[in-house]
Amino acid sequence: MKRGEERSIGQVPKPVRVLLAAALVLQIGWQALQPKPIARAEALSAPPTAATLGTLAFGEPIAFAALLTLHLQAFDNQPGISIPFAQLDYGRVGEWLDAILRLDPVSQYPLLMAAQLYGQIPDPTKQRQMCELVRRQFEQDPNRRWRWLAHCAIMAKHRLRDTRLALAYAEAIARSATQAPTWARQMRIFVLENMGEAEAAAILLGGLLVSGEVTDPQEIHFLTERLKQLKGADKSSRPSEK
Amino acid sequence: MARYTLLEALRTRFPVLVLVAVAVLLLASFFVESIAVTEGARFQAAFYAASMRLAGVFVAGLYVLVSIAREFNDKGFDILLALDLPRAHYVLGKLAGFLALAVLIAAVASLPLVWFAPLGAVVQWAVSLALELAIVVTLALFCMLTFSQLVPAASFVLAFYLLARSITAIRLMGTHPLAGADSLSHQVISGTVEALALVMPAFDTWTQTAWLVDQPAAWASLLHIGWQSIVYVLLLTAAAMFDLYRKNF
Repeated sequence: MKRGEERSIGQVPKPVRVLLAAALVLQIGWQALQPKPIARAEALSAPPTAATLGTLAFGEPIAFAALLTLHLQAFDNQPGISIPFAQLDYGRVGEWLDAILRLDPVSQYPLLMAAQLYGQIPDPTKQRQMCELVRRQFEQDPNRRWRWLAHCAIMAKHRLRDTRLALAYAEAIARSATQAPTWARQMRIFVLENMGEAEAAAILLGGLLVSGEVTDPQEIHFLTERLKQLKGADKSSRPSEK
Repeated sequence: MARYTLLEALRTRFPVLVLVAVAVLLLASFFVESIAVTEGARFQAAFYAASMRLAGVFVAGLYVLVSIAREFNDKGFDILLALDLPRAHYVLGKLAGFLALAVLIAAVASLPLVWFAPLGAVVQWAVSLALELAIVVTLALFCMLTFSQLVPAASFVLAFYLLARSITAIRLMGTHPLAGADSLSHQVISGTVEALALVMPAFDTWTQTAWLVDQPAAWASLLHIGWQSIVYVLLLTAAAMFDLYRKNF
């Protein structure tokens, strides 16, 4: 069909023009009378099962995991309403993070969200929930996920004031994350020292130096000095045998 | 004209396409039900209803666009113009046929749901889908008559539908922004969105899966949808006739 010049509006029959104007007025009037939409916070639902998510990914689990991560991340910013992280159901948040990691186990993003985003709220119970999730996920791939557990160890020590928990995380890193850098694997020594367990810290530090794992001369010097301090502190803290 | 429109649909195997879509989505819903650990029936009904709604909109809208495009290309439209037939009758005749198709699609699509959900809820869902499809087919007719080209018309219908499904969420974001509420750009965008909301239906409250799996809709809300559909179909029909009368061939 070739498009020619348009005819004038006068060529349109009057009933059509009246109908168009009336319908437009009705539509605008009807919509203007409707109440404005009200923002309502939507509760975070449970994630679908692993099998369902795998099917819904249509063979693109990494892309789908990224999409789900962004969905979860943006959940606190629903249309017209902002939900504080503290009001989220952390059990559900954990389920979603687990589900995303099952889809894309190499991604660090969900653990970053657990440790650095959801774990930062001033609620010790929820902080512990996120740290537990990181710990659980760490066990599945320690060499890739040690940094998030290290963050949780620091969080446990300084925020939760739970040095036993910090020690447990630091020991897990030293035991399982064989490819983690030495500072992360030495963390338990300093936690022990902080707990007043100078003797145990000295033994661990001595063992580390003897094992030859530390090769950097500056680091060996620093650790040797630290060992001397620990031994000195240990002697001075013991009661006199005289 | 309406009868020929329906006849055309039959001869172009459109019913077969609809039935195949229903069968495929029904099979897929059984698959979803089988892999769900719990609430299998709920998952199945929700999957079938949501996907069938989209499929219905897709096939109905595309069918109208292609049907009118074929009339343009085969010069059937030129013959009709040469007859002693007012252009408004052409629009009304075609529209009547397409609206009948919309009702038939909604009826066929909702039939399997009778096994998954209460009858009352299925009827509400089917009525709402028929009304939604009525707007889509009228919009497709208007777009094809206005743009005369398939690609721009199809793009417009798609964009309109997506916007109609998300207009409420966009309004909420505009009304209660998280930051920058006083900026000029926000005021302009918010005003534009509000103006858009005045001239288009908000499809997000229509044909809801929640009616089937949670609780049926209030009949008052269905009346609201019905009234909105009548007004909008009237508006689009008038716009289509207005545009057709202004065209020179």
